[in-house]
Amino acid sequence: MATANMKDVKRRIKSVESTKQITKAMQLVATSKMRRAKERAVAVQPFFETLFNAMCDISKDSSFTSVFTAKVEKKKTLMIVIAGDRGLAGGFNVNVLKKAAAKADDLRQKGRAVSIMAIGKKAVEYFSKRDYDVTDKFSEIAEGMSMYGAMDIAEDVAARFKNGEFDSVDLIYTTFVSAMTQEPCEMAILPVENLTSWADTRHASPVYDPSPEEVFEGMIPSYLCGLLYSAIVDSFASEQAARRSAMESASDNADEMIENLSLMYNRARQAQITQELTEISSATLNDNS
Amino acid sequence: MTPFNLKIITPEKTFFNGTTTQLIAKTTTGNVGILHGHVPYVANLVSSPMKIEVQGTLKEAALSGGFIKVAPEEVIIVTNAIEWADEIDVARAERSRQNAEERMKRHESQKEFDRAEKKLKRALNRLMVASKK
Repeated sequence: MATANMKDVKRRIKSVESTKQITKAMQLVATSKMRRAKERAVAVQPFFETLFNAMCDISKDSSFTSVFTAKVEKKKTLMIVIAGDRGLAGGFNVNVLKKAAAKADDLRQKGRAVSIMAIGKKAVEYFSKRDYDVTDKFSEIAEGMSMYGAMDIAEDVAARFKNGEFDSVDLIYTTFVSAMTQEPCEMAILPVENLTSWADTRHASPVYDPSPEEVFEGMIPSYLCGLLYSAIVDSFASEQAARRSAMESASDNADEMIENLSLMYNRARQAQITQELTEISSATLNDNS
Repeated sequence: MTPFNLKIITPEKTFFNGTTTQLIAKTTTGNVGILHGHVPYVANLVSSPMKIEVQGTLKEAALSGGFIKVAPEEVIIVTNAIEWADEIDVARAERSRQNAEERMKRHESQKEFDRAEKKLKRALNRLMVASKK
């Protein structure tokens, strides 16, 4: 009995060890990816703030009106949902997708039409399988996200908004709070609201060339692009952070398992030796008698 | 000429933060030259070569869209991308020019075509700026 058991235990230790190597490697990769994504998320801040300030300034102009700020009764909503491309990141994907689904159901109960732009393979899979109107699908774009990639999506959204395909746009993604916590959050991005709250009132109204409306509309794609880019980068950093801590606890669990199994293995080995000794000495006793 | 403060911000970094005496950029309505004491002014910029005075000479950079805001104390340019002539990756710009041209030839949809056209403009702008350095 002891020998077979020892073999099994040895095999399990080996398999747990190789799993641990994988989780450890994934943890390290996630850590470095997270760091890079965080740097990008920080770098985009001044860009976006300047842009938003300029938009606030324009909105103060007395003659200013724009379809992008008009307050209308919302009937058709586009939800941009950002999740990860891969699993093994703890509750990262589930949390954000659940929040998005709840929000979509809530909007539908209020009688609004909801269409979904899914960014990230997990978001695409989740909403395609269920009863949602998924109008756009983007997989595997988060890691190599460039400004141009975000710009393509942003220009598309802006054009469709202007055509009246939808009258509000919400963004749902996971924000990076700290390396240990990432929270799903939602944000209404179109029509543009709360513009004046940021504006500074120091200057006289500048000259807008050719007109405040046109300058503002020209900024809209950049505004959306900045938001999307930072949301995608933020979400990517969160995904890596979630994966890092998931893999860290997986490695810890593997360590614990290896410890328990080693104990079991040593006990079995000791038991076998003891048994062999007993057998030898009892055999000698038998011979002597 | 009196210098003024200029800040050029891209999503990746602050590209330029210092003083200059002259700036020539192309807006949606045409070229504008900015000197010290310009009236407060805001306009959208198109992908084009932009000239900035640096240490007495006009240095050229490839600008990819954005906007300019002239305020009394400083001029701010916000753009998606900008490179000095000697920073441009010519091979990459050439590749993206070919790619854009192919996509335009295929003409799959108007949306696709418009995107390719913009990409082509950016690539040509970069190539043009790079060739003049």
